[in-house]
Order: sequence, then structure tokens, then C-alpha cells
Amino acid sequence: MDRRNFLKTAAGTVAAGLATPAISQRVAARTLRLVPHADVSNLDPIWNVAYIARNAGALVWDMLYGIDSRLQPQRQMVESEEVSADGLTWTFRLRPGLRFHDGEPVRALDVVASINRWAVRQPMGQMIKARENELVALDDRTFRWSLKKPYPKMLLALGRAGTPCCFIMPARIAATDAFRQISEQVGSGPMRFVKDEWVPGARAVFEKFAGYVPRPEPPSWFAGGKRMLVDRMEWVTMPDPATAAAALQSGEVDWWELTLPDLVPTLRKNRNVAVDISDPLGWFGFLLFNHRFPPFDDVRARRALLMAMSQQDYMQAFVGDDDKLWKPVPGFFTPDTPLYTEEGGEIFKGPRRLDAAKRLLAESGYAGQPVTCMAAQDMAHHKSWGDVTADLLKRLDIKVDFVAADWGTVVARRAQKAPPRQGGWHIYHTSFAGADCLDPTNAFLRANGNVQVNGWADSPQVEAEISAWYEAKDRDEEKAAVRRLNKAAIDNVVYAPLGFYLRHQAWHKNIAGVVQGPLPFCWGVSKTA
Amino acid sequence: MLNYVIRRILATIPVMAVVALFVFSLLYIAPGDPAAVIAGDQATPADVERIRASLGLDRPFLIRFGEWVWQILHADLGTSIFTNLPVAAMIAQRIEPTLSLMAVTLVFAVSIAVPIGVVAAWRADTIIDRAIMAFAVLGFSVPVFVIGYLLAYVFALQLDWLPVQGYTPLSEGLEPWIENLILPALALGCVYIALIARTTRAAMLEVLQQDYIRTARAKGIGQPGILFVHALKNAAVPIVTVIGIGIALLIGGAVVTETVFAIPGVGRLTVDAILRRDYPVIQGVVLLFSFIYVVVNLLIDLLYTVLDPRIRY
Amino acid sequence: MTPPPVITAAAPDSFTTAMAPDLIASAPDLPDLFRPVRLRRGLWGFARRHPAIAIGGALVLAMLLIALFAPWLGTVDPTALAPARRTREPSAAYWFGSDMLGRDIYSRVLYGTRVSLAVGFSVAILASLAGLTIGLVSGFIRRADGLIMRVMDGLMSIPPILLAVALMALTRGSVGNVITAITIAEIPRVSRLVRSVVLSLREQPYVDAAVAAGTRTPMIILRHILPNTLAPMTVQATYVCASAMIVEAILSFIGAGTPPTIPSWGNIMAEGRALWQVKPYIVFFPAAFLSVTVLAVNLLGDGLRDALDPRMAKRL
Repeated sequence: MDRRNFLKTAAGTVAAGLATPAISQRVAARTLRLVPHADVSNLDPIWNVAYIARNAGALVWDMLYGIDSRLQPQRQMVESEEVSADGLTWTFRLRPGLRFHDGEPVRALDVVASINRWAVRQPMGQMIKARENELVALDDRTFRWSLKKPYPKMLLALGRAGTPCCFIMPARIAATDAFRQISEQVGSGPMRFVKDEWVPGARAVFEKFAGYVPRPEPPSWFAGGKRMLVDRMEWVTMPDPATAAAALQSGEVDWWELTLPDLVPTLRKNRNVAVDISDPLGWFGFLLFNHRFPPFDDVRARRALLMAMSQQDYMQAFVGDDDKLWKPVPGFFTPDTPLYTEEGGEIFKGPRRLDAAKRLLAESGYAGQPVTCMAAQDMAHHKSWGDVTADLLKRLDIKVDFVAADWGTVVARRAQKAPPRQGGWHIYHTSFAGADCLDPTNAFLRANGNVQVNGWADSPQVEAEISAWYEAKDRDEEKAAVRRLNKAAIDNVVYAPLGFYLRHQAWHKNIAGVVQGPLPFCWGVSKTA
Repeated sequence: MLNYVIRRILATIPVMAVVALFVFSLLYIAPGDPAAVIAGDQATPADVERIRASLGLDRPFLIRFGEWVWQILHADLGTSIFTNLPVAAMIAQRIEPTLSLMAVTLVFAVSIAVPIGVVAAWRADTIIDRAIMAFAVLGFSVPVFVIGYLLAYVFALQLDWLPVQGYTPLSEGLEPWIENLILPALALGCVYIALIARTTRAAMLEVLQQDYIRTARAKGIGQPGILFVHALKNAAVPIVTVIGIGIALLIGGAVVTETVFAIPGVGRLTVDAILRRDYPVIQGVVLLFSFIYVVVNLLIDLLYTVLDPRIRY
Repeated sequence: MTPPPVITAAAPDSFTTAMAPDLIASAPDLPDLFRPVRLRRGLWGFARRHPAIAIGGALVLAMLLIALFAPWLGTVDPTALAPARRTREPSAAYWFGSDMLGRDIYSRVLYGTRVSLAVGFSVAILASLAGLTIGLVSGFIRRADGLIMRVMDGLMSIPPILLAVALMALTRGSVGNVITAITIAEIPRVSRLVRSVVLSLREQPYVDAAVAAGTRTPMIILRHILPNTLAPMTVQATYVCASAMIVEAILSFIGAGTPPTIPSWGNIMAEGRALWQVKPYIVFFPAAFLSVTVLAVNLLGDGLRDALDPRMAKRL
């Protein structure tokens, strides 16, 4: 007996005359319901560098370039670009007919303002700005960026998927300071954000934008034609993975962006649900140190942890028994990608050396003070890693001051430059997309002493190798630079990689067109009733 | 009578004042600098100072409290730190599911608990009575979320009679609205049912000893008449009291039930806000819930005059 | 209702025998209207007369023993990780199974008894003491009464879970903070109860007499008021204990309770809740222990209430 029949027979004629099933079913067929990995609590993808803002932002805003599934930047809003022979002047021409959701055409002035706002928050944008001569709109569809030094990776900068992406907003909105939230979500992307129906913490609603002009090519990640095959999308926040799994199985939602690894076997058993790897570029786990305060301001203490920790423990704690779902990573770059290297990673290999680690720790001058270790309890993976770390520290005879907070609090606290016991921290955990660890543009690798997310790591050698990569003229130079960078970063222990793992996405079989990728690409996904 | 109503309404003001003071102080007892929290992790010290000035954090506590109360009275509950939306708007968006859940649970619990309490009192000290009371104590003892998960597993996943989660607004139809609320109301109602059943039984036991019951029986009035017309009306006062007090249980339980069943109500809003230290939202929600509780109890006090004509104000 | 005990015809005493031996001997044998009840002494008799106290008390005692002797009941270190052996079903090696980090659930549940009982008992005792003090002050000092009761009303109108969670938001998670937060949420109820007892006792003639005789207030409190508050307060304390254990579980479930490094029933359930569909045993065992303990405490409270003064049933 299915649920509709049960209540109809039990309750009789109560529902007669109210919402007719036929209409609601038709609406339902054109509404795609997705369970995102986090709540869309605010939608400003420049101000909020969390992945969720980018994922939702990709529906609402468009970019000048976009990387395709082979990680190459392709033109999106740009029709053509020209770079001068000396590499100092870039001239871009926009596609015709691009419109914002409020009906206004997309002008070069809007692009200039958006780039200026984006460049404040994005490291590559900052680099370009540092060598900028001028960025100016020449007419409604053309703008020019002239530099003092060449920047060969310009297209990658404008098209990359790492947050914040270079989304194009109307000039009046992009004029907002990059450290304040925008209050209007107007873009030129394939869907409009329906702010009236937005319930922070519960639901975000998007509607198809009829005025969107997709490119003729087939879609491939951020490149190609972003054709929406559904009229409406609802992103339904479900903090409880068990509830999300149950809802997917019963058809109450259509697509679950990132499943919990333990629930994958149950989902696979359900005939109506399809399960696949969400992103072949996978994810990394990171353990970050605060490089400003003892004990981890001494490289020996950090190396001691590397000696003692087991990437297998960390990975299995979250991903489970399936060995195909994780890999140990003796370095900082995504496995099976061009720049992957294991140079300098011997410390990760071989049996774990607890006693040697304790000796090294003592050498570094650790005197028994408590170590403040943060792990977000509302993120299942962070929580597992936090528990493994607490156990590891205990086995190294380190006193642990465990701070179990939610992710928002961890983010706020990691920004504090205060001493750990006065609101600061020693260690925290996070995860990062493999798509963002393909090359040294990874923000976590910067070691200029100014980067809050990796605890103000400071290593001139690492910085030198990063610059070398930016200046590299061909692939071989790049690879050499990356190899040296890997070794330098491990020697300095900028941060500790906990391993590489894959996650799954799951969807109801009544939707089609789901592809693997760093975020749920909604164009090309259709739903049958 | 009007006098009494006015006096009672006036009496709620000091109560709400205490609540307001407590709630307002939350932001300032909290560790960390609220201005820094609001400014965010990328802000410069100048930004933090600006925000501190705009929040008025440099002025005396009582003045800030007064201003805040003034704002509240104009239904301005402040702005959320995380979403930048007005707290009042956020609450208004999510109040319908919570109120629906509470109302359905209330109706449900009262219509189950009162009859079984009456039956337990009628058949005092028999196996029926013991069974009912055992069930009632069990209702107290198992945590709400365990009951919720059990119900969801059995009725939603295995039998597929009801939806697993979610909420359908009343505007989309009565049937889907009720469907989504049955399991959560059952889970939430268990504690409530236990409480009401026990009080009903105790009050009924006392009333059933009275002389007028014996008279009624002697007059030949049938058992249902005696139980439900004569006895229950006289036992109503303590029962209604406990229903009022139990509203606080409902509110607290709604927080957990909404998490288990993914109902986008104010309870979940509260939990999220508390975990994120989104103080304006916490303040707004605690104020609101306390206000609801106070109003409900006021209504119940007024209801006494209807139930028991001896109570005259 | 147990029939009143009847002393069956035992050996006639000398007086009646002397007075009318024939009358006695020829008296008709009336049938026993009530079955003879043998007053059993000792524990078994007590248990039969007060089943609620007996069952509740026995279970609480069992939990106490488990908490005290946890290290010797076949447990291992409850925080020992073994990610390679995570989420194993209950078996000979893991009696209650293993959780997401490979920790032995049986050990965690047994050690969790300590936390839950500690929270329950501490809150009951602290809330009773504080509530007693406040109730006494409020009952005796009229000027303070109004203010104190308004404050208590205010605190009571904030739903206890919200109050506890809001207080936890102010601090970091620790068992002490959880106890404090829940105690503050429970004090208003106890203080109201004590106050109502004090108010009703104050009007009693013997209190008046004591006052007239010149007995000072502390003595009055000690001699007359306190003994009468003990009974309802004890019963109320058991309810507070049960409620505190449930609130602790809910706080941990939401994520605002005891820190995750400490195994408490609420924590174990919170961690296992994502997997309740596939590995229900992770939630089931702590839930069963919690329910049984709370049930036992509630039964104990009910039994005490009925034994000490059945009229309390209306108020509690």
C-alpha cells in the first residue's frame, strides 16, 4: 500500500476540492530538487569563498572564461581575445546579446567593475593587479587590460573553478566593497535567484532565465552552452545525512550532491537510485598548523606529527573499507594530474615512527603545554579527522585542548591572531577540492606569512618555487618547479595532507544528464516525471 | 473580570522583561568580540571599530538595552549576522511549519491522552491502568529523536505509508500538510501524552472519590456520562494547567523533531543560530518562544473561568 | 488497593476466654470476607508493597554499579580508535559493535553511564539545593518574594532546552558547563515547589506557636519547614534527574552538549545518527540504556511520591 492510498482510504474525502494532483505533478516535473553539501546561507560568491557560494553562484552568474572537463579555460562570455606580441596588452570582446536578469545588457563597464571586485579576494587576481597598468572599458563590448609584466596564465585566472570565481555582476552591484556582502543577486547566468522564496537554512530557489543566450558548443563543466532543461531548481538543505538518504530513496528529492560514504551501499541497493563518483578530481583532507605559536612554530614539531600520523587512519575513518576510494598522498598535488609529484615525500611512506616522533618533538622544545585542536562537528569528515588527530596527539603524549565547534566558529577562530589559549588555535582540519590542488595556485600553499588559512606559514623557499612556477615558460619548467615546490613545502611542513579521497553523488533515476565534476553542473540535466 | 484580564496582562510584562534582559545579555556575556564576529575574518581593525560604533557597543549597557527594547516593540528584531536578513523576516518565513507542528501535536496529544487518562482512572489499579501508566512513563523516558527515527524507519521507509521528511504548506492542500506532520507530531507528542495522561488520571482519581459522583451514579447516569460529563469537567483545571505548562516541552521538543524530519521551522533556525553564534537570531527566537509560552498560559488562566465557575476574578 | 490487614482468629486471649468461654466456642464460623494477608517482612515484602520503588531502585542501583565498575566489566579503552575496523556489527569481538572510528560501543556505553549519571545526579542535587534556598528566601521574605518569583517565571517561560542551549552557546562544551546550564534551567521548578510548601506551612498553627514562643527563623526553618519540604523535594529531585539526563542527550544530539572526546550516551547517539538506517545498533544501545535509566528514575520518583504522600500526585 503506498502512502497516497493509505491516507485516502483512512481519511476519506477530506482532500476533495483542494490542490488538484494533476497541476502539482506537472510543476513537479519541471522542478529539480537538489540536496547541496551545505546551506546557501548567503549568496555572494566573492565575499563568501566557501564552495557552496560558488556552486549556487554558477547558476546565477556567468564568467568570461570557464574551464572544461580537461581543465582548459574556454571562452564563455568572451567572443574573442587578443594578446599583444609582448604579452602586455590583453583586449577582450564580449559576445553579443548577453543580458542581466534585470533586463540590462552586459556592458564592458560591468565586467571591469566585477574584475576589480574579484581581484581583491583572489590570489591570481591580486598578482595581475600588482602588475596592472590599466583595466579599462573601450566600448560597450570591449575592454582592455594592459600590464607592466606579462602574465601568461591570464585565461586560467579568469576561468578557473577555484573560489572565488570571476563572476560578472552589474557595475552598480560590483561596486560593493569586496569585504561586504552584496544585497542583490543579479547576474547573467542561466538561472535567476528567487529571493522571495529563499529560506536560509532550508531552501534556495532558482528559476530559468528566459533571456539567457547559451553558446553553441555542447556543455563541458564551465565551458560550452549552459542550457537549462528544467524550469526551476530547489536546493533543499538537509543537515542530517540520514534524512537526505531517506528522502532520495523515497523520491522526495532528486539529487544528492555529496553522499555520506557509509550510506552509499544502501543507496546502491535501491532500484530507483543511481550512484556515481561526484568528482574524479576528488578531495584532500588537510591538517593546518598555526605557524606563529609554539610548539608548531618549530618545524621539528610539525615534522614529528608527519612522522607519526597515518594517512590510512584518516582516510578510512571517513571513507570506510573500500580501498578504491582513497589514496595516500605524499605531497600537495592531485593524483593522476599532470603536475602530480611525490618528490620529498618519504616521510609519509613506510611504517609510522612514534618513538622517533616523540624524540623530535622533545627536541623542538615541547614542554607539555596543551595544544588547541579544532574540528568542525557539523562536517562529518572534519569530525572524524579531528577525532583521529586527538588520538594521535594523545599517543604522542601531547596534551589536547579539543575545541568541538561548528564550521562557522572554526572559520571565525582561525582568523584570530591571538595566542591559542586566548581565542587562537594550534591545529584545525579542513577539506579541499582536488580540482583546486592541481597547481601552485592552491591558496593553502602560499607561505608568505600573511595567509590566515594555513596558519601564517612562512617559508621563503616555498614562495620562491611558487614564483618560479608562475614564470615558467613551458611544461617542463613547470614540472621542475612543482617538484622543487613539493619538496620545499614538505620540508617546511606548510600543512599536513591527510590523504586523497573520492566521494559519491546520488540521484533518482528519473533525472538524466548528471556528470562528474567539481560541483553539480545543472545545465543539461533533465527530469522526467 | 476585565479587571482580572488587564491585571494578568500587566503581570506578564515583568516576566517578559526578565526574559528580554536575559536574552539581551547573551550577546554581551558571550566570549569573543561581537563586533569582530559580525565583521568577519577578513576585516581590518578599522572595519571592526566601525561596526562596533554602529552597534553602539561603546555606550552604557542600560542605554543599549533600552534602545533594543524600543526596537523590539517596533517589531524590529535586528539583523542576522550570517544571512544579513532581518531576523523578523527570517522568523516569519519559518513560523508556519513550527506552529503547524505544535498545533497538530497539541490536538493529537490531548485527544489521545485525556481519554486514556480517564480510562486509567476509571479502571484504577487494574492491569489496564498499570499498562497505561507504564506506557506513559515510557513516553517520558525515551528521547524524542529516538522515537522519531524509529517512526520514520518503520512507517516511512519500510512501509512507505508516510513521507520521510519535509513540510508542505497548508496552502498546497490539507492532505499533504497532514501527511508530513503525522510522524513528527507522534514523535513530539509522546512526552506530552505521557504528561497529560498522568495528570488526567491523578485529577480524575481525586474527583471520582467525591460525593457528587456517587450521587450521579445513584441517579442512574451511565458510566460515559459520569466520566466525561461530570468528572472530567471538574478535573479540568489541573489538566488544562499541565497542558499549558507542557507547551514549553513542545517548543523544546520541536527543535529536535524539526532536525530529524527536516522541517524548515523556527526550531531548526534556532539550533543553527546557536551553533553559529548568530546572536541576533538567538535573541529573537528565544524572545518569541517565551512570548508564545506566556500568552498561552494567560489564555489558559482565562480559560479557568469557563471551566470552573467557582473561579471568579 | 490492598485490603487492610486482618488479624485472623489467633489464640483467644485470657480475658475473653475467662469472660465467656461458651460464647466464644459456640460462635458461628463466619466466612473470611478478606483473604488473609501475611505481612511479609524484609525486602521482598517491601518490594511487593512498593513495586515502583523496588524496580526503579534496583535498575538505578544496577546503573550505578555499571558506572562504578565499568573498567572491570570487560571493557576496553572507550576512546581507542581503530579506523580499519569501523562499523562492525555486534559480534564476539565487539559486543555492541564498533562505531565509525572503530571504537568499541559496549565500552563507550558503559563509560557513558558515568557521564549521564553524573549529569543527572549533579543537576538534581544542585538544582534542589539552589531551589531550596531560593524557595525558602522567597517564602519567608515577602519583599523578596515578588522579585524572585518574577525572575523565576521569566526563566521558566524560556523552554528549558532553549535555555540550556543558549547558555551552552556562551561557553565551550564541557561536562561542568552542561551541568550548570541544565541546573539553571531546572531551578525555577524546584524553587516554586519549595515556595508553595513554605507558604502553606507558614499558616500552620504549630508554626505560629513557634513564632509566638520566640523561636528564631532559622530554627523554625530547620525544625518545621525543612522536614516537610523533604518529601516533595525528593520526589521532584528524581524527576529533575530524569529530565536532566534527557536534556543532556538532546544537547549532545544537537551538538551543544558534552565534548565529543567524552563518551556520553547523547554523544554516541549523535555520532551514530547519520547511520541509523544502515547501522542502527550504534544508536540503539545507548538509547536503550538511556531509556531504561530514565524510566527507572521516573519509576523511583513515582513510587516515592505514592509512598510518602499520595496527595502529592496532584501537584507533581
